[in-house]
Amino acid sequence: MSAPLVLGSFSGAVEFIFAPQESNVTGGKEVGGFDKTMELLLGHIEVTVLALAIALLIGLPLGLYLGHKGKGELLAVGIGNAGRAVPELAVIALVATLIGIGMRNVAPALALLGIAPILVNAYVGVRQVDPATVDAARGMGMSELRIISRVELPLAIPTVMGGIRGAAIVIVATATIAPLAGVETLGDFILNRNVYGENGLLAGALLVALLAMTIEGSLALLQRRLTSDGLKVKTA
Amino acid sequence: MSESQASSVRYEEATKRYRGASEPAVDHLSLEVPAGEICVLVGPSGCGKTTAMRMVNRTVDIDEGDILIGESSVRERDAAQLRREIGYVIQQIGLFPHRTITQNIGAVPQLLGWDKDRIRARSAELLELIGLDPELGDRYPAQLSGGQQQRVGVARALAADPLVMLMDEPFGAIDPINRERLQNEFLRLQAEIRKTVLFVTHDIDEAIKMGDRIAVMREGGRVQQYATPAELLMAPANEFVEDFVGADRALKRLALMRVADINLWEAPLAHVGQATAEVRAKLDAPEVEVPFPLLVDSERRPLGWLSERDLAAENVPARPDSPLGPVLELDDVMRDALADLLQHETQYAPVVDHERRIVGVLSVEIISEFLASPEAKTDEHSAAERPHG
Amino acid sequence: MASVALLAAAGEVGGDFFKERSSGSLPCQADESHLFCFDWAKENIDRYGTPTLQHLELVLISVAIGFVIAFALALLAHRSRWLQPPLLAATGVLYTIPSIAFFFLLLPVTGFGRDTAIIVLSAYTLQIIYRNTMLGFENVPDSVKDAARGMGLTNRQILWKVELPLATPEIIAGLRVATASTIAITTLVVLISAGGLGTEMYGSNFNFPTAILIAVAIIALMVLAFDLLLLTTQRLLTPWRKVRPR
Repeated sequence: MSAPLVLGSFSGAVEFIFAPQESNVTGGKEVGGFDKTMELLLGHIEVTVLALAIALLIGLPLGLYLGHKGKGELLAVGIGNAGRAVPELAVIALVATLIGIGMRNVAPALALLGIAPILVNAYVGVRQVDPATVDAARGMGMSELRIISRVELPLAIPTVMGGIRGAAIVIVATATIAPLAGVETLGDFILNRNVYGENGLLAGALLVALLAMTIEGSLALLQRRLTSDGLKVKTA
Repeated sequence: MSESQASSVRYEEATKRYRGASEPAVDHLSLEVPAGEICVLVGPSGCGKTTAMRMVNRTVDIDEGDILIGESSVRERDAAQLRREIGYVIQQIGLFPHRTITQNIGAVPQLLGWDKDRIRARSAELLELIGLDPELGDRYPAQLSGGQQQRVGVARALAADPLVMLMDEPFGAIDPINRERLQNEFLRLQAEIRKTVLFVTHDIDEAIKMGDRIAVMREGGRVQQYATPAELLMAPANEFVEDFVGADRALKRLALMRVADINLWEAPLAHVGQATAEVRAKLDAPEVEVPFPLLVDSERRPLGWLSERDLAAENVPARPDSPLGPVLELDDVMRDALADLLQHETQYAPVVDHERRIVGVLSVEIISEFLASPEAKTDEHSAAERPHG
Repeated sequence: MASVALLAAAGEVGGDFFKERSSGSLPCQADESHLFCFDWAKENIDRYGTPTLQHLELVLISVAIGFVIAFALALLAHRSRWLQPPLLAATGVLYTIPSIAFFFLLLPVTGFGRDTAIIVLSAYTLQIIYRNTMLGFENVPDSVKDAARGMGLTNRQILWKVELPLATPEIIAGLRVATASTIAITTLVVLISAGGLGTEMYGSNFNFPTAILIAVAIIALMVLAFDLLLLTTQRLLTPWRKVRPR
């Protein structure tokens, strides 16, 4: 494909995002435009945030606790490995056909996908904390809860945030095909080509990519903010 | 064991500067190590001793000056080729974890293109030389103890019969007991193969024990004194060397002497069944310095010390009252002899020759008198020429 | 042919998704009493043959290409340290973009079909294989490299005889992860008409739990099989790791 054509396609896509267009597929009805884009974008963000929140609520404490106790290594690693191999399409498909459609059913399913990386990384992150440090903290009289929150978690931030970022990626990606289960996200543009046309298709892909990179970038920044300076210093 | 080759090493104004440092790490070092000798580079951390050693095989580059092995400059050689002729032993050992012991030892020979059989034979030979069970050859380094690994490190360095050996704190990571054992074994080995060795350590005691010659260095690799251990202990060149050697120089000198180097005292000898009156008479003789008679057998081998009670009888009894205590040999290192005396809380110990025949008696008094006397200085010169360890 | 039909199906399902579901005219309806229709499964198991082979093919090609590229990049970065941060970032960015978006972004350039699929799938393996290879290099003890250099091995010999063998476990760990995730993502290539097991989850069979579950089961088996294969390969390549330290 020649460069001008490629550029041409992309410019068409960008137009699509901002202004409603006539689509020759649905026979002249106007599709796309800023409002529609916003609607889908917000839908995408909504389900992503919801799923991520649930995943964090379940995966983080569980992972931190197991890591702190040192138990369940096989389980944690197994979940981690299994999580990587789950086909997103299958999850959406199964949710849609077995459980039901709509946000109420999809969000938990996405959360499930996100729990794996969060849990595994929380577990590994805590395990990697120097036992001497934990020992000292315990000796000082810190309660177990304090140890987890004040000592282990801060020291495990890089690994833990890595897991959260991984979860975010997976959830954003799967949310893209959530329209198949009745949740309106940016994936709608991609999956319903007959409605939105070529421009819509590209627009959707572009937007999803940008959204994913923005979320990843923000989380990376957050990670940097949360990582204590002591950890960032390079050893001499 | 097969022929062993060794070359001299000569530093000629060798200099190394690191970027950003105001002073060179090694400043115009000139030093000559005769072939077949162990030269110890010793000094405080950061003085440049390790850098100086590494300049020989160019794991640190030479900025100015040169180093000659034999008569050839190391700067003119291809670095990798050069290193294959030099044995390299480092503190953390660095055995290849993914190769067996035999393969580790055979690493350089393999680089040089030896055929498999020759490599295997050589590995077996070296394993025996360093005192390891040849069966260990097929194991992996992780299966060996620290001391064993270090020995393999030395064997590996010797495999291709290098001209020079570089050893950087090779026994530093080992516990003290095994360290002493390894040091002794290496010295025994060296007596056989006589390699030229550049040995780096920060431990002055190790330097004195291991070195034929010692170079005491300060920052910049500046040699304060380059001398034999005896000279170093007796006549430190300046305050720095004196401080570095330590306030217990006198005791350190004992490590260089043997019992045979000193004039021993005489004890009156008694035989079983001899009339005690005779023995008493001997006790009174003026040349006798030890106030107790020593019971010996017909071959003049000591059996025990006689007490007053023993002499109360008519004849010397077969079983003496006091046990023999420590028996020293002429070859014993003086420091160990003193340690024995002190440990057994005894003042006198009989000294015997190779056939266990009495030669004389050593006492703590003799040792301290000797150290204090002016003769000690002359005597030690001759002691320094003997191999020690 | 197949791709046209799939295209048509894609168009159809998108718009009339809800309609079809409520029609009730499906081969085997899932309800509370039976989740899995064994009869249908037995009868129709052969239809999974082609999709499975397509799936395998895509996975193998993509992982192979990804490995070659990532490995080459890692070797480059190993020699020229300044390349490391940018390469890490670049491979990371590729990974961040959700696969679907990536597939469709490439449409104007490479269009529908296998090529696009392979490009995207390979791109996804880059980050993990690159990172793990670099990690493997980092884990080689400095003392071993020092000794190797001091003994007279050239840089190239050190790389091939010492560093790579010792980095093998990490590299293969990266391959395992890359393979598992590639197998998962490949289900999506149905959306760009590249076949694979996703065809049994999407399209007219979309409403059909049994079909989906069988596809999932095959995928799970594939993941396990490859994982085991790679793990065994690692064990064979690194005999020194099994020994217990004294």
